[in-house]
Amino acid sequence: MSSGPSPREHLSEEKLARAALTYLAEPCDPALGALLAICSPAEVLAAIKADMLPGTGPGCGDTPASRAALDRALGRWRARLPTLPHEERLADTSRDGIRLSCPGDTDWPGALDQLGQDRPYALWLRGHTDLRFACSRSVSMVGSRAATSYGAHVAGEVAADLGERGWTVVSGGAYGIDAAAHRGALAAEAVTIAVLACGVDYPYPAGHADLFAAIAGQGLVISEWPPGRRPARTRFLVRNRVIAALGCGTVIVEAGERSGALNTARHAATLGKPLMAVPGPVTSAQSAGCHRIIRDWSASCVTRAADIIELLSPLSVPDALAPGGSLDALAPGGGLGRPSRPDRDASQTASRDDLDPDSARVLDALPARGGAGTSTIAVEAGVDLDTVLRCLGRLAGNGFIERCDRGWRLRRT
Amino acid sequence: MPLARTYSVALIGVTGHVVEIEADIANGLPAVIVVGLPDTALREARDRIRAAITNSREEWPQRKITVGLSPASLPKRGSWFDLAIAIGILAAAGKVPRAAAARVMFFGELGLDGRLRPVRGVLPAVARAAEEGFGKVMVAEQNAAEAALVPGVRVIAVNSLTRAADWLRGLSGPDGQPAAVEYQGGQDLPGPAGRHGCDGKLASGGGAQAAGPGTAMAPDLAELLGQSMARRAAEVCAAGGHHLSLLGPPGAGKTMLAERIPTILPRLDRAAAFEVTAVHSVAGTLPAQVPLLEDPPFLAPHHTATKAAIVGGGSGVIRPGSASLAHRGVLFLDEAPEFARDVLDALRQPLEAGEVVVARSGITTRFPARFTLVLAANPCPCARVAGPSEGCSCSPATRRRYLGRISGPLLDRVDVKIELEPVSRKELLSDRTFSESSLTVARRVAQARERAAHRLQGTPWRLNGEVPGSALRRTWPPAPGSLAVLERSLDRGLITARGVVKIVRVAWTLADLAGRPRPTRDDCDAALGLWLGVRR
Repeated sequence: MSSGPSPREHLSEEKLARAALTYLAEPCDPALGALLAICSPAEVLAAIKADMLPGTGPGCGDTPASRAALDRALGRWRARLPTLPHEERLADTSRDGIRLSCPGDTDWPGALDQLGQDRPYALWLRGHTDLRFACSRSVSMVGSRAATSYGAHVAGEVAADLGERGWTVVSGGAYGIDAAAHRGALAAEAVTIAVLACGVDYPYPAGHADLFAAIAGQGLVISEWPPGRRPARTRFLVRNRVIAALGCGTVIVEAGERSGALNTARHAATLGKPLMAVPGPVTSAQSAGCHRIIRDWSASCVTRAADIIELLSPLSVPDALAPGGSLDALAPGGGLGRPSRPDRDASQTASRDDLDPDSARVLDALPARGGAGTSTIAVEAGVDLDTVLRCLGRLAGNGFIERCDRGWRLRRT
Repeated sequence: MPLARTYSVALIGVTGHVVEIEADIANGLPAVIVVGLPDTALREARDRIRAAITNSREEWPQRKITVGLSPASLPKRGSWFDLAIAIGILAAAGKVPRAAAARVMFFGELGLDGRLRPVRGVLPAVARAAEEGFGKVMVAEQNAAEAALVPGVRVIAVNSLTRAADWLRGLSGPDGQPAAVEYQGGQDLPGPAGRHGCDGKLASGGGAQAAGPGTAMAPDLAELLGQSMARRAAEVCAAGGHHLSLLGPPGAGKTMLAERIPTILPRLDRAAAFEVTAVHSVAGTLPAQVPLLEDPPFLAPHHTATKAAIVGGGSGVIRPGSASLAHRGVLFLDEAPEFARDVLDALRQPLEAGEVVVARSGITTRFPARFTLVLAANPCPCARVAGPSEGCSCSPATRRRYLGRISGPLLDRVDVKIELEPVSRKELLSDRTFSESSLTVARRVAQARERAAHRLQGTPWRLNGEVPGSALRRTWPPAPGSLAVLERSLDRGLITARGVVKIVRVAWTLADLAGRPRPTRDDCDAALGLWLGVRR
């Protein structure tokens, strides 16, 4: 799978044909989608090169109208034939660390097959992560490019939290919410996937060249377009269906009334995927789209990673067994650097029963009312000063005790 | 040719620069001209020297005398060059051998009667002379002990200009005694025979302890009964070089604790002792009979101190401030919120860089200033929070404003914050089992410092407290899984991400104290306990 040091991985004929098709046709071309449904990619490529359509079949050129559409499409595709790289170069997948994933490959995410005829012909990948595995627990998180600091903060926090609990964050690599989501996941050292609307080696926006390099190092940068292809306005809309399809659910963090994020939301709704939105101030134009999809499209209102996971996990059980989950997943209000929310639940993060013997003894040594000094507690518990200090730290960190005028006291729950 | 050369050293901060003094006697109206960026005190030297030469029954050349000090660009200050100029004039007049005068470095101020007086900063100056290859230095008798610390230098101690001239001429004194007493630097130690302490100390490289811990009168950490957390915090700060902040009502023992930190610090090694002594020599605060400071200094400036007094400065000669005098020791700011805000903020730069840079027009002076900062503060300005009965009437806003005078950036550099509460009788009784003497703690501290120094070999740092957070995260993470409770505290908002770095840094020192190769869960939890020892 990895394009690492292996000399040259020669592609099968079918993969080669699919690679060529990404050069010749725009993704989501209905004519090519229909053709691929009945012919193999190699046959389609041969036909384009020969300027002769493959024989008729069901749903393919059996009416004059569709026949004419196919002819026009053939003209479009043939026009790009001169730009097609030489077969040698197409086959050389090890260059620049870029590789190809096709339907039927072991790393092809099955979620994309839900797109039917609009399924990508193939995906170009940059990065060494397994795409299929990364998408098995994934959340698409998109939003406005002109994000507010609130939106960027929430996107980053939620993405980091999701990442810490082993979920992949899929986004579009744009400025604003997308970038905040990617960066949050990167900060949590989690896998994140950027789906681009241009070649994976074409850094757009240019200011995100470093971000894409970081994503490729830790996750994946993927695209339906071949390397070197430039972005175009319409391509972003076409790309959005892939973002929606790759995530188990889609979260809109901030979106204006006419945001492209709503296009992604529409795709997710069409695919029947859970649609979620993070609310914002009702006075904020940047959150108007979020509020609209909550009202009109029945999107779920989510405010933190735990909400999202709860919605996406089949049994609605927070995934305590997930890598990196551990006790943290059960703790409400988890998350790095989050401002304190000393609610009652938080003090229950660890149970008295989980304490080591020394800590339990120190906890018992604290008076029921009022406080006690460090040495008093040590004598009472029958432990030495080093032990009592360590246990006091552990107990205070876990929310059992706190500091008071006279030393330490039990924390009222 | 009536021209003679002598040599001396000009000090900028604690750095010496060799100065060449040329004396020229030419025909013309009798006058003395001093050229080469002298200050007022140095310009007055010509009157002092003239009187001194005449009163030493030497002949004053009644011609035109020009004294040049070079390099001319270097500012030269004070009475430091008197002896060198006087000998130069005598040599130019042919009264003393020129060759002999040019081979010796001269440091000393002359009285009008010809007596030689001691000057400040002899140690760094002699060290510089030795580096430049001068084998002999002539100083006043009172400076001899200090000068003799520098190995490889022959120290000639004289008490007057007459004796100095006689020694150069190779004559003995009027009473048949040798004109000067000579010492070999780094070996002999001048001083009245039988004076205990000094000789023993130098000969054995700091073996005997003059008035350190162990003496009956010396303060001891064990006296701080009932403040076990604070004692532990002091030990951690001593071992790791962490800065410490103490908060508590009057009478809880803040000052007592701070004063006892030097008793658990290891004695200075040879190089550090030289650095410290050089600064104190320049400041003129060196005790008369103890030439080499081997105990870490403890400085407790009053809260009315000015910025110049703390970080150094002055209009003429730039003097080191408390921060530099506390180099390799402890700088204790009692009643820290009472200090002027700009004084406290001026400490940020030395805390960061380990040295003080005083810039004046034409000259930039550097003094070393790598000290352990100890801040103490009352929780409120009325300072009456003795017990539940009396209570203070300060509003929470007043208290917050009071402590807010210590700026955030300064507190950011403090790794250990401790709150001391008034000791209850029960705590006093309980603590008797746990109190340890300074000697016991000092032994642990010394071992911990060795361990840290070994680990930090090849880095610019020597103590855990000096290691920046980024390097700590990258190179020295604690054992895996040991941060679990810390992470939970972070989630619960008990500590901040910045707090985590400090806790990990303290955990390293705890591991060093316990002799563990890297912090375990226990160390991290204990460090958290110390950190949470402050109400907020």
